[in-house]
Amino acid sequence: MSYKVTEEGDISIVHLDGEIDMDVTEKAKEIIMPLIEAKKEVHLNLKEVQYMDSSGISVLIESHQKANEMGKKVILKDISKSVLKVIMMAKLEQILNLG
Amino acid sequence: MVALRQISEQRDFAVSSASLKDVRSFSREVFEKVNIDQDLKDELVLAIAEAAQNIVKHAYQGEDTEDKMEIKISLNNGELEIGFFDKGRPVDKENVRHRKIDDVKPGGLGTFFIQQIMDAVVFKEGEKPWINHLILTKKINY
Repeated sequence: MSYKVTEEGDISIVHLDGEIDMDVTEKAKEIIMPLIEAKKEVHLNLKEVQYMDSSGISVLIESHQKANEMGKKVILKDISKSVLKVIMMAKLEQILNLG
Repeated sequence: MVALRQISEQRDFAVSSASLKDVRSFSREVFEKVNIDQDLKDELVLAIAEAAQNIVKHAYQGEDTEDKMEIKISLNNGELEIGFFDKGRPVDKENVRHRKIDDVKPGGLGTFFIQQIMDAVVFKEGEKPWINHLILTKKINY
């Protein structure tokens, strides 16, 4: 997994790239959580994520819940077909913010 | 390439989260030889990777080990069987369950995905030298 973070005002945009599995979840959290804790709105661009497993979904849930606690939002953007399928399999399309 | 109707392939993997990408590569290589649609291939790869992840997470509880786990993919007359063999802690079959899906929290989804994708999930005691033997099956139309 690789990533790039850009800033647009109060919004941090995290572009994730590659496959997100148990082996990279800690890294993903290290990227995303400090942005949420800094009270940024976080957009996760998932266009280039070709694979996500249950560990990756857990990162999305944890990020979503942490942002809610902080009164902020994590919005999932440009979700790839394969990631959307896993989100729907987990029945989270109504829970997570899909932008 | 001629699509195969019978397959039996197995491979050993280090019991480590770093091996999961190799598990996926192996699974993709095997399913490339079968004439099934890409969505189903992707689902099967996910189910296999989730089961391998469960071995790393639960049978070994994330501990470093020299042990290997073995994955065997067999297809015969439309019956797909995927076997997982490991030497970790014995699986308590009564405790293998996914969390309630409407109880939204991180974790507990891997087993749910496996059950969604596969027709049957059976835990057996492994024959020596194995401790656990998980069998996932699915009828494949091709």
